[in-house]
Amino acid sequence: MSKKVVIPGELISAERKKLGSNVFVADGKIYSKVLGVIDDTDEQASVVALEGKYSPRADDVVIGVVTRVVFAGYGISLNSAADSFIPSKAVRDQLRIGDVIMAKVDRVNELKEADLAYPRRLIGGEVIEIVPVRSPRLIGKNGSMLELLRKGTGSELVVGKNGRVWARNGNIDLLKKIVAFIEANAYKSNLTNALQDYFGITISEKVAEKSAESESLPRQDGTSEQEESEVINYSNEGEFK
Amino acid sequence: MRDTILEHDISRITDLAKQGKRADGRALDEMREFSVVKDKFENAEGSAIVRLGKTEVVAGIKMEVGKPYPDSQDEGAISVGAELVPIAHPDYESGPPSPIEIEVARVVDRGIRESKSIDFKKLCIKEGEAVWVSYFDFYAINSDGNLFDAGSIAALVCFMNSRIPKINVDNKIIKHEYEGKIELKRLPVLTTFVKVGGRILLDPTYVEEKAAEARYSVATTEDGFISAMQKGVGGSFTLDEVNYMIDLGFKTGNEVRKKLQKV
Amino acid sequence: MSKMDEVVDYKKTKKRLDGRKMDELRPLSIKVGVIPNADGSAYLEWGQNKVYAAVYGPREALPKHTQNPYKAVVKVNYRMTTFSVPERKRPGPNRRDHEISKVLGEALDRAIFTENFPNTEIGVFVEVADSNAGSRVACLVAASCALADAGIPMRGLVSAVGVGKAFNEIVLDLNKDEEDAPDAVDTPLAIIPNSGEIVLLQMDGLLTRKEWDDVAKMGIKGCMQVYEVQKKALADRFQFEELSKASVEKAVLGNEVSKKEIVGKEVSASKQVKVVSKEKKEDKSKKVRK
Repeated sequence: MSKKVVIPGELISAERKKLGSNVFVADGKIYSKVLGVIDDTDEQASVVALEGKYSPRADDVVIGVVTRVVFAGYGISLNSAADSFIPSKAVRDQLRIGDVIMAKVDRVNELKEADLAYPRRLIGGEVIEIVPVRSPRLIGKNGSMLELLRKGTGSELVVGKNGRVWARNGNIDLLKKIVAFIEANAYKSNLTNALQDYFGITISEKVAEKSAESESLPRQDGTSEQEESEVINYSNEGEFK
Repeated sequence: MRDTILEHDISRITDLAKQGKRADGRALDEMREFSVVKDKFENAEGSAIVRLGKTEVVAGIKMEVGKPYPDSQDEGAISVGAELVPIAHPDYESGPPSPIEIEVARVVDRGIRESKSIDFKKLCIKEGEAVWVSYFDFYAINSDGNLFDAGSIAALVCFMNSRIPKINVDNKIIKHEYEGKIELKRLPVLTTFVKVGGRILLDPTYVEEKAAEARYSVATTEDGFISAMQKGVGGSFTLDEVNYMIDLGFKTGNEVRKKLQKV
Repeated sequence: MSKMDEVVDYKKTKKRLDGRKMDELRPLSIKVGVIPNADGSAYLEWGQNKVYAAVYGPREALPKHTQNPYKAVVKVNYRMTTFSVPERKRPGPNRRDHEISKVLGEALDRAIFTENFPNTEIGVFVEVADSNAGSRVACLVAASCALADAGIPMRGLVSAVGVGKAFNEIVLDLNKDEEDAPDAVDTPLAIIPNSGEIVLLQMDGLLTRKEWDDVAKMGIKGCMQVYEVQKKALADRFQFEELSKASVEKAVLGNEVSKKEIVGKEVSASKQVKVVSKEKKEDKSKKVRK
């Protein structure tokens, strides 16, 4: 299928097909809901959005920032229409405004508010923001793009589906430029190959699957190697820059 | 009240400032690039679009015939207004003028008015009866900080290029006909600074303004005068710091004026 | 010299005062993504009209009592600058501004899948910097592009146009002179092009039933012309060239060069700072005024 940009209300398919994302049916035909690129196959009609905030889905890994601290818990910004809330009990240690966390979306209620599970504080590093709907491109099929970025820059990386990348160590300057490049060219063809050529690394999509899971998701029991060694000690400010 | 600036952005800006650095790579005493488009809006007697870094403002002058003030029967007047409209930033709200909007307007006003750069007697139509009132209004379209200096540049461009409408015997404006321009005898340029992490930053971005402990604006002219000052936000400055900012104000003012001559 | 002194009759002249054909639009251009802070934005010029539109949302609806648990609330704020009209407009919204905000909001509400975002607001802000008849439809056209730019899901764009009667003819996209005609009828009209639904319709003046049919037909055709301009403005920003290693290198290198320049400036600028502070110590006692 040759790529085409569509606008809201534009016709995708006059035939009956399975409905993918960002489309709607009217008069037996399928139309795009958003400004995006058609991803239309014989079986399914779908549109990949080019712009837009994050729409929470269960099982998404996200990177949140603490915006509010109250007795009952923490308000977390996710770059979506509504902030999330984590009860104090769900986190081992106390969080402060500005802290960066990674978490998994557990459930999404009818008001599009996400309940977060396995919240884990991310120490140090930097947060890079991109257009949320273009995040999947940073992750790639089975985490292959994520793996490529890690190997190519040497940085520890967590990519949230909500348009935030957390990175620590490695060549962060190069990473920022590459992330900006991927964001600007997310919808163009040959992106993965061009980047693999640039870094001189090839990532097989099968291999990527294993490493993506172990590094970007918290362990099943809610802890991780990193967490055990963190002693979150706010009395010693200097360590936690 | 919305506040979308994240705390960790503010602390990052403060940490950078303490090291003498800024998020956009500028030096502490470096102003952003600015560009001006004049006379775009045809209903205005003079207008300007000013971009200072990512900050963008639109401005215009409307001339009206009014009655002179009792203590200045042969002088025209100017009036400066500013609006931080919600278009420009997610934190801005619609509603009555906020304290910061009023402050921005008054500081820009002070810079022009107190510099005696406009010959108000020239704006007199008939002593005691009719004078020109020049209404200058500017609006934020995208706010990335320092609406003070952006507004001041817009004011200069508008006042320098504003046409004066022709009037009939009854002192009513004749549409589409003009006679002469408002002239500026001096070009006062406003320069604004903030104190972040104990360091002085020239031409602050939005986040730098949010991180600021204190703010200071000074208007300077090409012939060596200071025509306005305003300290804003809490915090404090030492006298040395103020003198440093005044000197930098003169230097920056000259650079801005040089660029404006080409507009 | 006023044009109104002559009795103008378009049926006789066959051309309009500004030279256009009866069903011809004034020049229209749209630029999308012009306000970095906004979630979506557009700048539009239509004849003399110049408007900015910005969309913020979906985001938390404030004040909280405006929240609707079933759908997003579309809040339109239509405003004009003081210098956008021939006689200065006093600052602050007037009744006309409030009315227009309301009808624009209702038009967009129908187009947006508001049920996708309960409890939120979608803020749509439009500012008219220069005007000459048709500012409300200009704002609607711009706002519609800004909403698409923000990634807001919609049933379709909203395309709008002014249409009506002036100087004895049915005309499209009236300008101010035509709006002031003795027999002027102004009908702002907006549709969702793919479904043909009418989402905005207002009218001022006297029309016969037959004249209304002609006005409606011309108006809908005019909306479709506007739609083509909107579509192009949104789609043109996305080019589909194939990427290569060279594209990545260019992007990475491009930034590196400018960073070097900045570091260079930093060094020389800090030298200047030292010089200035040296001077100021010496001049402490001197006044600045000459």
